[in-house]
Amino acid sequence: MAIEIPKNLDGLPTSQRRFVGRRVRRREDPALLTGRTEFLDDIKLPRMLHCAVLRSPFPRARIESLDVTAAEALPGVEAVVTGEDARRWSHPAASSPDGWGGHCLAGDEVRLVGEPVAAVAAQSRAAAEDALEAIEIEYEPLDPIVDPFEAMKPESPLVDEAKGTNKMLDRVFTWGDVDAAFDAAPHVFRESFRWNRVGANPTETFGAICEWDPMSLELTVRGSIQSASHFGLGRAAVFGLPSNKVNVIATPHGGSFGGRGGTRCTDVACLLSRKAEGRPVKWIEDRMEYLTAGGSQAWDRHYEVELAVDADAKVTGLRVKLVDDLGANGEPYGAICAAKPLAAFTGPYAIPVAAYDLKLVATNKLPSSPYRGMGPPPHFFVLEQMMDIAARSLAIDPAEFRRKNFIPKDAFPYTIPSGNEYDSGDYEQVLDRALELADYAGLRRQQAEARAAGRLFGVGVASAIEPGVFDWNAYAIVGLPGTGVPEGATVNIDILGMISVRVGFAMEGQGQYTLVSQLAADYFGCELEAVRVVPMDTQSAPPSFGPGGSRLGVAITGAVLGACEKIRGKMTRVVAGLMQTEPENIVFRDGKFGIPGVEGASMSVAEVAGTMLARSDLLPPDIDPRPEATHVWTAAGRTEPDAQGRAKSYLTAAQSVHVVAVEIDPETGQTEILRYAVVDDCGTRLNPVVVQGQLEGSVAQGIGAALYEEYVYDDDAQPLTTTYMDYLIPTVNEIPELLRDEVVTPSPFTPLGAKGCGEGAIHTTPAAVLCAINDALAPLGARAREVPATPNRVWNWIQEAGDGNQTPQGEGSNG
Amino acid sequence: MKPAPFEYEAPSSVEEALRLLADPAIETSLLAGGQSLVPALNMRLARPERLVDLGRIEGLDAIRDENGALCIGAMATKRSIERSALVAQKQPLLHEATGHIAHPQIRNRGTLGGSMAHADPAAEYPAVAVALDAEFRVIGPSGERRIAAADFFVTYLTTALAEDEILLEVTFPERPAGEGVGFAEICRRHGDFAMAGAAATARLEAGRYQDARIVLFGVDATPVRALSQEERLRGEVPSEALHAEVAAAIGAGLEEPPGDQHASPEFRRQLARTVSKRALEAAVARAAKA
Repeated sequence: MAIEIPKNLDGLPTSQRRFVGRRVRRREDPALLTGRTEFLDDIKLPRMLHCAVLRSPFPRARIESLDVTAAEALPGVEAVVTGEDARRWSHPAASSPDGWGGHCLAGDEVRLVGEPVAAVAAQSRAAAEDALEAIEIEYEPLDPIVDPFEAMKPESPLVDEAKGTNKMLDRVFTWGDVDAAFDAAPHVFRESFRWNRVGANPTETFGAICEWDPMSLELTVRGSIQSASHFGLGRAAVFGLPSNKVNVIATPHGGSFGGRGGTRCTDVACLLSRKAEGRPVKWIEDRMEYLTAGGSQAWDRHYEVELAVDADAKVTGLRVKLVDDLGANGEPYGAICAAKPLAAFTGPYAIPVAAYDLKLVATNKLPSSPYRGMGPPPHFFVLEQMMDIAARSLAIDPAEFRRKNFIPKDAFPYTIPSGNEYDSGDYEQVLDRALELADYAGLRRQQAEARAAGRLFGVGVASAIEPGVFDWNAYAIVGLPGTGVPEGATVNIDILGMISVRVGFAMEGQGQYTLVSQLAADYFGCELEAVRVVPMDTQSAPPSFGPGGSRLGVAITGAVLGACEKIRGKMTRVVAGLMQTEPENIVFRDGKFGIPGVEGASMSVAEVAGTMLARSDLLPPDIDPRPEATHVWTAAGRTEPDAQGRAKSYLTAAQSVHVVAVEIDPETGQTEILRYAVVDDCGTRLNPVVVQGQLEGSVAQGIGAALYEEYVYDDDAQPLTTTYMDYLIPTVNEIPELLRDEVVTPSPFTPLGAKGCGEGAIHTTPAAVLCAINDALAPLGARAREVPATPNRVWNWIQEAGDGNQTPQGEGSNG
Repeated sequence: MKPAPFEYEAPSSVEEALRLLADPAIETSLLAGGQSLVPALNMRLARPERLVDLGRIEGLDAIRDENGALCIGAMATKRSIERSALVAQKQPLLHEATGHIAHPQIRNRGTLGGSMAHADPAAEYPAVAVALDAEFRVIGPSGERRIAAADFFVTYLTTALAEDEILLEVTFPERPAGEGVGFAEICRRHGDFAMAGAAATARLEAGRYQDARIVLFGVDATPVRALSQEERLRGEVPSEALHAEVAAAIGAGLEEPPGDQHASPEFRRQLARTVSKRALEAAVARAAKA
């Protein structure tokens, strides 16, 4: 039976929409706010052991000897594993790019500070940590590979000898006749930029409880796991198990933001459980482990960028050269962050041609992980600075320069040079609202007064695209195969009309269980409380990828509405049979099935469900009597990538404009944010209060990246940011109140017209803040080309400008 | 992140604490508010064999007026100091500085004595103690002694306290009438350890400096008193130009400011100038203009 998922809110079978699209309080919150949500570390299983991991203190060293006998003999110690066990019982992990994964415990060589070399399972975590001190290990330190440019030289030592190179990827992608565009351009602007390592910092670190059943050879992993099904497949491959013998039970987790890697130590705990004859082994990553060796770090980038602009101030070409320091291996899939910019390479602008010179380089640092935004935030940071450099040089207001180059609203769906298709938008309207909301004209007047008084006052206007609803095809260029990402839901109605929705993802904090309830309640015309959302383990759940790539809101909407539609179809046939008419005559609306114009011909959902379950003898013979249906949603129209990586990948393109005003203290280099205005368009807002939460949180993370957060390594590849005293996440004291407004252009491609918006403002915020800083510094001739723009850096830039030491601004000529 | 095994004692009297501390057979650390020691224990950076918790000894957290001087027990929490009307009235510099220390949660646990004895060079209290000529009352096996603030802070994380001594109380002498105080620090975020900070006092007579004091923190291994510039100010008429000159000289006079990922030595020198000027200006602005 063909089903039709409503493309907009009016398509829902209700006369009075009560939940979808309204500010519905999150059903997850009472348990969270009262401390009653059960997280991984709250779980205690019978006979459970606790794991501690011995980690390398060196970024690169040979292990000369390793002796665990003293540790094994300690009281309370039940098992100890080393690289030898890992080689006997497991395979190297999958990676991106392919072939850059390793065993979960080091062999003869360690490649980063924090790499696991041995692990202990004991009666308590404290006893396990005590036992680590009894492990005798001798290292022969080797010169670490620290700088990605040095690492690319032929004479450089190698992070992984077997690979024969430190270049994990070295490719140039050309989309259109880029050389011709630059040759013809009267203005070409060039600049270099540096984005330092930042990353995800969820409240809860990673953790897992692993149970290896020695009789059935089945593995059960409970964990704060973002994508349970994907994680399960990975474990099956690592341990050589059939995929149906690995069951993953994802527990509610305290945030993710991309930092829920954790595969290596999960595998370590699995090995320990196997060695401890199947006793469950709990591994909880502590905060120092997370910061030095967890899923904490991303985007360590060096950029060279060129922008071609014609005589009418239209941008005609973009060249981006990126050297991305991915660290010691490709296991956490950080490489996909360098691929994702293809989904929105030219941002909100109608730039006809572009080129991407991409080098992914291995060094002896922590492997790069995904982080909220997955790579475009640094890309837009550089693109937006280039837009400002061009506008300033051409003496055009930066807002007007952007307006001139926006993709016009009648051009959608719009295919960008790197192959992706944007669904819808009205960028000028978003810009106009943002300028009005921020009182842009007033800010410029304030700026003129401040400048006259010698103060450094700047205004930034930046716009970016948030690609939503990821597809694997977006990452083909870094070696991930496949197209299509399924999300399923099973909707079941019981004999009293109560609804359960079974899903395959854990509670992660973005309100998706609330969204599922909103959808089912409005669809069937019941109360929110009549809907129960049931997360399932991977062996029971409908097909699911879970949250990631700003997809789940859209994808689960498709899955739930699809399942609801199937139940409606089935019930329609049941009702038609009972009312002795044809299904075409039955209408479902406001929770009731009826025949229009026939008084009294009406049955509620509960009545139909009750009849189906209690009186299956009355049903047409070919009808399954369960009021239950599963629907698996995938994005339609995704395409295989071509040789240049071009594909229809991310399904939606949300857009935003941020206007930021800052003042810089020239004595201390401190940046104060005076005003922050955001207008965004993420299509239909399924739960505006959740969208607001996502927006505010991602502005905070964007400000963190722009001004505060940075993972620092010294010249010997030792991490210096191992606690929150040194990795500085902004707090409520550092984040300004936002001025917010919205524009809604529904997506024509998605259920209810929603666009992915979970990653949100971090795409735009670092760009906008740095645009404002550059605007403030412009009178001094000082330029900010690196994030975070720390007080020390800003002060340095001001000093260098005063000394005349900054290199000339980058307009070249075409001789 | 679990500490190495240790024994724990919580004596109810100073005498008992001293006896525990005096045992040479077992390496002992005193536990005050635990805001620095407990993380160090958990990271196994500190691994004493025994902790002696001073938290159960009655009377060690008193805040009292003694003939005009303000006496604060070593175990008084920063939060109690912040909220004390007596402190605000008698020692406004101490009061102001307390609000800059970390966050309320930390001030609820952290103590005056713990901060002083830990002697972090970026901490506020040691600099305030030097600026206010505080006196440290300590007790050891052979009885009590008093140590002047100027002698108390020896170097990075090191004080004049002997291993078998306990800090009992810090006395802040009564402030002269008409004195103004100023405090300034520059942090990456609200509540962080300062990259540089300064505490200042100033008194004016007939529009000229009668005396002034400037003590910096976060720029060397101990609080740094700007003695020569204090001298220079005496008898001068406060002015923006004078303060800028003094601040510049203070920055230039720093021996070797430390560098880390938040601030290079040169940047710290710059921040030292800024905080010196700001603290001094604030002090002058509040000093009685008589």
